[in-house]
Amino acid sequence: MSAFAKTRYFWRSAAVGLKHSPFVHFIAVTTIAIALFAAGLARGGARLLDNLLASLGGEVEVTVYLAPELGQDEAHGVRARVEALSHGQVSLVPPEAALTRLRKELGDLGEALAELPENPLPATLELRVPPEDRTPEALQSLAKELRALPGVSGVDYGEAAVERLTAIARALRFGALVAFAVVLSATVVIVGATLQLAIYSRREEIEIQKLVGATDRFVKAPFLLEGLLQGLLGAGVALLGLWAFGRVMGPTLGSLFAFLLGPGVGAAWVEPRLALELVGAGCGLGLGGSFVAVGRFLRV
Amino acid sequence: MIQFFHVYKAYPGDPPVLSDINLSVEKGEFVFLTGPSGAGKTTLLKLIFCAEKATKGQILVGGRNIARIRESAVPYLRRNIGVVFQDFKLLPHRTVEDNVSFTLDVLGVPRAEARDKVHRMLKLVGLEHKADSFPLRLSGGEQQRVVIARALVNDPTILLADEPTGNLDPALTVEIMDLLTQVNVRGTTVMVATHDATLLSRYQKRTVRLERGQIVSDEDGVKAARRMVV
Repeated sequence: MSAFAKTRYFWRSAAVGLKHSPFVHFIAVTTIAIALFAAGLARGGARLLDNLLASLGGEVEVTVYLAPELGQDEAHGVRARVEALSHGQVSLVPPEAALTRLRKELGDLGEALAELPENPLPATLELRVPPEDRTPEALQSLAKELRALPGVSGVDYGEAAVERLTAIARALRFGALVAFAVVLSATVVIVGATLQLAIYSRREEIEIQKLVGATDRFVKAPFLLEGLLQGLLGAGVALLGLWAFGRVMGPTLGSLFAFLLGPGVGAAWVEPRLALELVGAGCGLGLGGSFVAVGRFLRV
Repeated sequence: MIQFFHVYKAYPGDPPVLSDINLSVEKGEFVFLTGPSGAGKTTLLKLIFCAEKATKGQILVGGRNIARIRESAVPYLRRNIGVVFQDFKLLPHRTVEDNVSFTLDVLGVPRAEARDKVHRMLKLVGLEHKADSFPLRLSGGEQQRVVIARALVNDPTILLADEPTGNLDPALTVEIMDLLTQVNVRGTTVMVATHDATLLSRYQKRTVRLERGQIVSDEDGVKAARRMVV
């Protein structure tokens, strides 16, 4: 048989198999769809978490305190070096501007600052670090380098807050990964078990195929294709569900969290990359399940 | 064509099903395998098409030692052996034509060629007018003829039949046995397991008798038939 004829035969057999036990296949497709829908939601959640981290990270500015004896030219020199070192945006806040800002922030109490004999605030550099460098490790290393610069008397970047936030994000991601792995394993087992029911009803056919000289690969191929079709269908249903979820819940989430997460929160829940990943995972689940199921029935 | 050398078959914890079997079947021969139920007839046939593995001894089929055959080579051996079962093993949801062409699908024979072969085979077994029927609408004899057509459609060199007439009335039994004889005349080596003594006396073919897993006699047709009469 030519490869084309063989492929046609396998697809025909797979289609007959799907028609033969529709309920069993429905259960398998539904299971795959639920698992992938949950995975898609988890990915969406992870994206929200990333947005949250990015937005909170943006608030954490590095403040570089300059030595009081530094003149204006020298302060600008330090500013240029900090800018070159961090690749971020740096603005110089002279002591007078800092005092004015403090006065404003204190409101009525700000009048008390007029009683001070001299301005106690040093000139500072306010540094906005690029998003890719907002990890605790990168910030720590940058702070160390900045402290070593001549004319710098201190550096502050809200170390504890960044570390805590990152630790929470890491724990959430790890938990999601473990939960995802458990859900996927359970799905393979459930899909395998349901497919076994379908294959059991065709055990005579398998037995006869084996007795008339079919190789294991020949017997397996249509069942694996059935699994693949189930995976594709399951992924399709999951993507449809995610798309519908995004349409219905997207605007609500957008209005609820836009102040915190920015305009990205309302973005589409089904992106091409996610769609590809879910289709791939669906195919893997379907193939894995049918592979587990068909092995048992080949011993004739 | 088929040779057994000191073959044993036993399952753990049970007495041996076959003990020290030595047997040689020539190409084109017709052999009855007889004996009471549980004598080991079916097991002996199963060893030939590798549905079971011998515990000890050597079995040659077409010059190939199947006691040492790799699992992956078994399908290719089976393509040279047609098997007929007492319980037919037909697919009820497929037509007679589809059941017979099932073997050719597995072998990858192109559809047009397969169709031709199937119709020729159905003509040989006298069922060309039932090609589109489903097995459950056929009589026992007709179903068994479909099984024979399926077993022969790829021109195997050996045909094994395990109690092929066990479920049939005497008239249908003759019909099936005549068909198997006709197949043998065309050059196929045929081995038929049966405990039906009337078949042995009627067809007078070489008869190998098994009792408790051992060959107790191996006689030519005339001698075996005479013994049946006595």
